[in-house]
Amino acid sequence: MTANASAVRGFAALVMDEVQRARADKAPLRIVGGGTWLDAGRPVRSDRALELRSLVPPAVVHYEPGDLTLTVSSTMTLAEIDRLVRAEGQWLALDPAGSASGTIGATVATASAGPLASAFGTPREQVLGVEVVTGRGEVIRAGGRVVKNVAGFDLTRLMTGAWGTLGAITEVSVRLRALPAADRTVAVSASAADAVRWLNASEFTPYAAELLSPTLARGLGVGDGATLLLRIGGNGSLVRAALESLSSLGEVRSVDGDAWSRLAAREQPTSAVFRLGTRPSRLAAVWERVTTMLERVGGEAHGTARRGVVRCSIPLDGTEDEEFARLRGIIGALRVDASLVAERLPASLWASLVPAAAADTLSRGIRAAFDPDHIMNPGIFGELA
Amino acid sequence: MIELAELLRAVVGEKRVLLRAGELRSYESDGLPGYQKRPSLAVLPGTRDEVIAVVRLLAERRVAFVARGAGTGLSGGALADDVVLLGLHRLKGILSIDAEDARAVVEPGVVNSSLGRAASAFGLHYAPDPSSQAACTIGGNVAENAGGPHCLKYGVTLNHVLGITALLPSGEVVQLGNPDGETDGYDLLGAFIGSEGCFGVALDITVKLTKDPQSVRTLLADFSSVDAAAHAVSAVIAAGIVPAAMEMMDAATVQVVEASIYAAGYPTDAAAILLIELDGAAAGLDEDAERVVSLCRAAGARGVHSATDPAERARLWQGRKKAFGAMGRISPALVVQDAVVPRTRLPEVLAEIHRIAERHDVHICNVFHAGDGNLHPNIGYDPTDAAESARVHEAMSEVMHACIAAGGTITGEHGVGLDKMPYMDALFTADTLNAMCELRAVFDPDHRANPGKVVPVHACREWHAAPSAWTRP
Repeated sequence: MTANASAVRGFAALVMDEVQRARADKAPLRIVGGGTWLDAGRPVRSDRALELRSLVPPAVVHYEPGDLTLTVSSTMTLAEIDRLVRAEGQWLALDPAGSASGTIGATVATASAGPLASAFGTPREQVLGVEVVTGRGEVIRAGGRVVKNVAGFDLTRLMTGAWGTLGAITEVSVRLRALPAADRTVAVSASAADAVRWLNASEFTPYAAELLSPTLARGLGVGDGATLLLRIGGNGSLVRAALESLSSLGEVRSVDGDAWSRLAAREQPTSAVFRLGTRPSRLAAVWERVTTMLERVGGEAHGTARRGVVRCSIPLDGTEDEEFARLRGIIGALRVDASLVAERLPASLWASLVPAAAADTLSRGIRAAFDPDHIMNPGIFGELA
Repeated sequence: MIELAELLRAVVGEKRVLLRAGELRSYESDGLPGYQKRPSLAVLPGTRDEVIAVVRLLAERRVAFVARGAGTGLSGGALADDVVLLGLHRLKGILSIDAEDARAVVEPGVVNSSLGRAASAFGLHYAPDPSSQAACTIGGNVAENAGGPHCLKYGVTLNHVLGITALLPSGEVVQLGNPDGETDGYDLLGAFIGSEGCFGVALDITVKLTKDPQSVRTLLADFSSVDAAAHAVSAVIAAGIVPAAMEMMDAATVQVVEASIYAAGYPTDAAAILLIELDGAAAGLDEDAERVVSLCRAAGARGVHSATDPAERARLWQGRKKAFGAMGRISPALVVQDAVVPRTRLPEVLAEIHRIAERHDVHICNVFHAGDGNLHPNIGYDPTDAAESARVHEAMSEVMHACIAAGGTITGEHGVGLDKMPYMDALFTADTLNAMCELRAVFDPDHRANPGKVVPVHACREWHAAPSAWTRP
């Protein structure tokens, strides 16, 4: 199936015009896909929006189901992609936080991943190629639509997670998977230490295995205390055996698969969200400390055990000064034994609470090479100049 | 140059700087036949500190260099044409293995299969398994983003490296990636992996180790046409089964293997065979294996045989892994090519390769990672025969263009090196190639690390304007 491929080339040209105009005007751009991430507070110094959806309509560029790869314009939403490929018995194993009305372009630009990254990796592992309009106003086509590709330097990985600072993504090729025969979501009440021990010893690789803090488990209606929420897929025998093995950890409760979309949509605009990372072997200890603290401040957390990643959400309701002092304390405590990446903060607090990313010499050189006038999402990494 | 050699000797010792033609001979070629390039000298540091001191010395004197692991690369990437060759094969230290977090920290010269052996004591292994794994190094694997048969399920080198301490060509040491947590900002680690020695040298590499599967099934399916085998490959993947590996060998390959000491018991009258391996939890494996057998039969397999014991499994795999060796036995030289096409295009591209071979009167054997669409068309020939060499070159060029035309790419795991540079313009736009040049220039502003490889110089606008930032020693 090839649909309006040449038209999308045309759309990249439209984006190119906008970027070149912004360059000429020295007017920085805020890149907007579906606009669903804007409330995350990432600071961008810009008065001009590059509204991709008005320039690049959602479109299928190439879909040959037998190849299990898909090329679409960047403004297709994850929900639209899901509808398209599900009809062919396939799926895209990306479930970033937020709603499915987020676009694939934004998912790749932000390298956002959810619980499915446990088995399938982050966008880094699933993106095969991208078309990008760089800050120089040039269209580059990196990677391709085959699943193995080492031709040239890896601009695809470079663009994935660059938050638009090197260019605006106009087209994405991704790897798809065939839907499994069986796909079950279950919950087990277990401490983090026990859950991690079971996962490490197990022969099974759940699609997702997410630790939920007690408040979060209750909020999602899947448990009453510390809970492990699992998604187990594969052939019938495998899934049956995995569920049976899981019963050694605790009582296995069947849960509605929608629990995952409720989890993804759980974070409130009026909250601060941080992503912690640690070695998997330290995860249980970090988890216990972090969740104890979060329960005290009314926060919630979920953790991808196999990746050593914990996502913490803290409700905000005070004045800016109060929240600044409180969050500074919380960040200090969260950071013990873990790396910390901010996912959501009030825009005014971003620069003072989180060190700038991409501030090293190599990253600055890359930024200068792809966006010499600093017009693509300036400030989004918390950088000052 | 004598002066540079003396300075380098002061760092690495008298015997570790090679200057004489006889000493340099084994560094004049890599796994790509038909090319011989003599380095100006070879320097072979033995420790991390020596590597740093050598690279800093070269940086001070603006001398270009080519890093080399075991020299098994198949794209000519480790050839040093009158520049310094930096041999890293002596850095063989496995610095740590952490079984609990399933990872290891290794020096760049560690041989792929040595790491596998060291990890096996913990029930772990290193998943990327290039056919040269008994000789190739992890540093070389990182440079090429190497793959292997089992990458179908487990992913390529990129998916198994958690962090790298890199030495930039300037002599600066930088940490790429964070093995202990999450990173924000650009994926510098992802950019470095597969940069073919043009971005610097890996001093140590933190790799992910993979738990040995509880159970394995190895199947040999035998087909009377290549088309039928290719359709079986698509049918298995479409059914949602992800084999650990799914390799195809055509009749020419099967016959060569069976006539060699690596004879694996493949049916010599088959038009194509598939070697399919399933692994994972024992519970689901039989159901998947039965499904694969019936899908192969439905696609027209004459028979599907399941290895009954580990010895038979090892024999079936040895035939596959040593196929290149078996081909090399009957020809003075063997080009092991590498390209990728979308899986559904395999039947027509294989037919086209067959036509190209006939048209140019060359003998192509296909043995490849069918599940990934990653082709390895191989041509045995005599490099001293100029006419035959020219025909081989022409045929390979047509094969590459056929793969590009089918929506594929010119290399899936061997890298561009020298060999594939002529096809880069057909695959990428001028602006894309220039962007690659710009990225390289960030890591190596003088283009001193592996000069003249990967991206054609004419594609680099700024570089093209000022081509002499480095000197020959």
